[in-house]
Amino acid sequence: MRWFLRRLAFYVFALWVAITLTFVIPQLLPGSPIGGILQRLTPQQIQNNPGIILTYEKIFGGKNQPLLKAYWTYLDHAAHLNFGISTSNYPTPVSEIIARTLPYSIALVGISFILAFALGTTIGMFAAWRRGGGFDTIFVPLFMALGAFPAYFTALLIMYVVGLRLGWFPIQHAYGTSIVPGFDWTFIRSALDHGVLPALVIVLAFAGGWVINMRTVMINTISEDYISMAQAKGLKDHRVMTRYAARNAILPPLNGFAPQFATAVGGVIFVELVFSYPGAGYTLQQAALGKDLPLTQALLLVFAICPIIAIFIIDLVNFVLDPRIRAS
Amino acid sequence: MSQVQVEIQQPAPSEPLAAPTASHHRVRLPSWLTLLLRNHKAQIGLGILFVMVLLAAIAPWIANASSATNFVDLPRQPPSWSYPFGTTDQGSSVWAGVVFGARRSLATGFFAAVIATVLATSLGITAAYAGGIVDEIISLITNVAIVIPAIPLLIDVTAYLHSRSMLTMILVVGCLLWAIEARILRGQALTLRNRDFIQAAKVSGESTRRIVFGELMPNMVSRIAAAFILVFYISILVEAGLEFIGLGNTAKASWGVSLYWATVNSSVLQGEWWSFLFPGLAIGLTVLALTLVLVGIDEVSNPRLRGLPKKRRFAFRRSAA
Amino acid sequence: MTAASPATTPRPFGRREPLVELRGLSVEYLTRTGLPVRAVDGVDLEISPGEILGLAGESGCGKSTLANALMQILRPPAQISGGQILFNGDDVTAKSREELRKFRWRNVSMVFQSAMNALNPVTRVGDQFIDMMQAHERISKREALNQTGDLLELVGIDRRRVRAYPHELSGGMRQRVIIAMALALRPELVIMDEPTTALDVVVQREILQQVKQLQRELGFAVLFITHDLSLLVEIANRIAIMYAGEIVEEAPADEIHRAPRHPYTIGLMQSFPPLHGPIVRMTGIPGSPPDLAAPPEGCRFHPRCPHCRPEDSFLYARQTTERPRLRQVGEGHLVACHLVEREG
Repeated sequence: MRWFLRRLAFYVFALWVAITLTFVIPQLLPGSPIGGILQRLTPQQIQNNPGIILTYEKIFGGKNQPLLKAYWTYLDHAAHLNFGISTSNYPTPVSEIIARTLPYSIALVGISFILAFALGTTIGMFAAWRRGGGFDTIFVPLFMALGAFPAYFTALLIMYVVGLRLGWFPIQHAYGTSIVPGFDWTFIRSALDHGVLPALVIVLAFAGGWVINMRTVMINTISEDYISMAQAKGLKDHRVMTRYAARNAILPPLNGFAPQFATAVGGVIFVELVFSYPGAGYTLQQAALGKDLPLTQALLLVFAICPIIAIFIIDLVNFVLDPRIRAS
Repeated sequence: MSQVQVEIQQPAPSEPLAAPTASHHRVRLPSWLTLLLRNHKAQIGLGILFVMVLLAAIAPWIANASSATNFVDLPRQPPSWSYPFGTTDQGSSVWAGVVFGARRSLATGFFAAVIATVLATSLGITAAYAGGIVDEIISLITNVAIVIPAIPLLIDVTAYLHSRSMLTMILVVGCLLWAIEARILRGQALTLRNRDFIQAAKVSGESTRRIVFGELMPNMVSRIAAAFILVFYISILVEAGLEFIGLGNTAKASWGVSLYWATVNSSVLQGEWWSFLFPGLAIGLTVLALTLVLVGIDEVSNPRLRGLPKKRRFAFRRSAA
Repeated sequence: MTAASPATTPRPFGRREPLVELRGLSVEYLTRTGLPVRAVDGVDLEISPGEILGLAGESGCGKSTLANALMQILRPPAQISGGQILFNGDDVTAKSREELRKFRWRNVSMVFQSAMNALNPVTRVGDQFIDMMQAHERISKREALNQTGDLLELVGIDRRRVRAYPHELSGGMRQRVIIAMALALRPELVIMDEPTTALDVVVQREILQQVKQLQRELGFAVLFITHDLSLLVEIANRIAIMYAGEIVEEAPADEIHRAPRHPYTIGLMQSFPPLHGPIVRMTGIPGSPPDLAAPPEGCRFHPRCPHCRPEDSFLYARQTTERPRLRQVGEGHLVACHLVEREG
């Protein structure tokens, strides 16, 4: 219980840091935030909407607002999920843009990460169990090499080979151009179809890390006495491998999921870019290039929060899987 | 209760005392390094790395600097004798782009890694050695820094910075990548700190500075080297990534920028594989090389990870199963 | 260096067919420099059914390696490099994978030194019994659970503890658990590798009593491995002394206690301070165990032996060049020592 509360406190703190960062960065960078925003808006837009400057000022603090007050307003707005209006997609509010694009990212990342983790740890497990066997000599170097290449390169490669030359899967966007999003089968099917290549890239690019990690931990676990004992007990080989070795060896990689996730979130942005997949990453890139301040800050916040949530889930899983944590 | 007199006999003079198997080792730098150099994987990695650095160093002699970024010939040519890697959409030589880009990409990665490693080492060791509230604070900062994803943050920051110089890149990346290794180095420093030889040094009154630099760090050299290599390849990837998005200096030659132009000009969609394959391969091979060296270091420090001598391998199958 | 062959190691008469026979067993570790380290070098040993054989020696002398070799659970880089292991006449090293799996635990089981490390930390104790039982016979989970409860009671643990995790039990209880686990399939031989080293003396005594009692009831043979010779004197029928990968002396327990012949054994026996009696001058054994990658020429103990003196040139020459073989010096008493050989 205590452990739990400590973790919770940490998450809240991290969350706070994230929010504060997204507020502070525009203030620190050269040029006032408002100035930057004003540059992006066309005179037309300002004319048509006289209160717009005020709205922005309220959120980001203008020349007339003391910093602390602006910060407080920002927090307040953030709590209400009000991030202002996107300058590059005027007049759509930021929250709407995020609501539209985030689900695609979550779907893509959620599925492919879990797949990458499952695939990677399984390969690592087999590679460690049969040292020098097929898995160890072929798959480990293969996935290691795949992981060495930047995700966007693998993306480009896959796009070229599988998408262009072989034409098996579509290479752009999240769903067919003629299809309207909705909860019908045509849409879902198209979405899945479009998601295959990005997902494939993510799995190939990130499984490698797990392979190596799991293999190393597994090799160390195998040298433990309880594995010797399990074998001495005459248990079947695969049972010792899974129930005794892997069951213990999975815990460190699971804990390493968090930092990996944070790094990998970045990689996903690139993949989305290559495939013009309209997720949060793609949107961030467009927003950053277009210097759309409200949108970038909001997206940054989203990106910062996701790993925290992921870690929280991992912590829960850890709690379930490791009885020693439950005891303390 | 009777009394017992204990008399330890002196060892026979001809027989030297066997070396004490103490729980500490005075790590002499060359030993793990020589082992590393004999490790096959590390050898491959170092070899590739050497080639890359060599290419970058002799770039002016094997390619024309201006042909990396400027128009020199017909655009979109596939690889040929005059242009071994073909030409880009802008008409510049992909080969020149790769070898000159190597300079920029490797240099920025290297220096960013230096900054990150220095930060990680100093913070990690301070946290481990000082302990208490200092440790708590540093650990908290480190953990938060790990959790906040670096790339979106970097995208955010570089988007708003006006300067796109190499220095900015180095600073920004270096200052954000230290966290991962800081935690690991702290862990190792902690383990070492509680070892007998450090306690002995403390008790005998050695100054903190001497203990840290003279006793602690020499034992952490392999870990610090591993940290450096890790951050090195991550910063290469990250910087190339930022350039790929368009946040780098698109006028200069570097691997990421080459990929940027390849995407922007839809080279892939038009089937011009050479404009993205070669820069991408360059990045991938360099990162792979560094990963291999890392694996080598891992194997050297953890004997269990080492492969078995080939001729004996089959004998194990039955007994180990 | 020739390993002692079966023909030259005399065995005492009147013994039943041995349960376990080690003939010239050698186990090597491959090191990073390529030189093999012989942890077990040409060992001949026999265990009779129902007897408690103690195996004593310093740390690193190869006793645990020998035990692991017997159960065929050697870990790379260790491997058997020579000799045979016969169990009831069958060569264990020639068994197929499946035969080996069935052989393990049912015929031979093992009690590890550290129960905390020998139990799977994330599974319940009961489950670790059940999967073992189900691996060897067709038995329902409920029945297996039932039998597990019985086994726990046999060693004096409340049967409700089947649901406990290893870290929830005390050190002594954990040790009892793995003893119970070792007896689950009623094996003919139980190898105990330093079963009490990690425990305090009080618990040690209890565990030993428990083992003696169980052995009397169930009649299994025991290979009791320890560095603590005083334990063996109490519990074992016969004791074998191991040094630097070789057996240097083998005799009934009371004989070892009363009249040890090998200088190393004598040194070991003299290392225990008696609680009663006159003041005794203690002598340790000078020097340290040899590096098994480059053991001394001839008798491996000679650098530390008080009876190895250059003045005695003929004996000295033998001691430094020729490996002594196990020879019979009394009823059931074998010693490998040039000095003892000379004395007759």
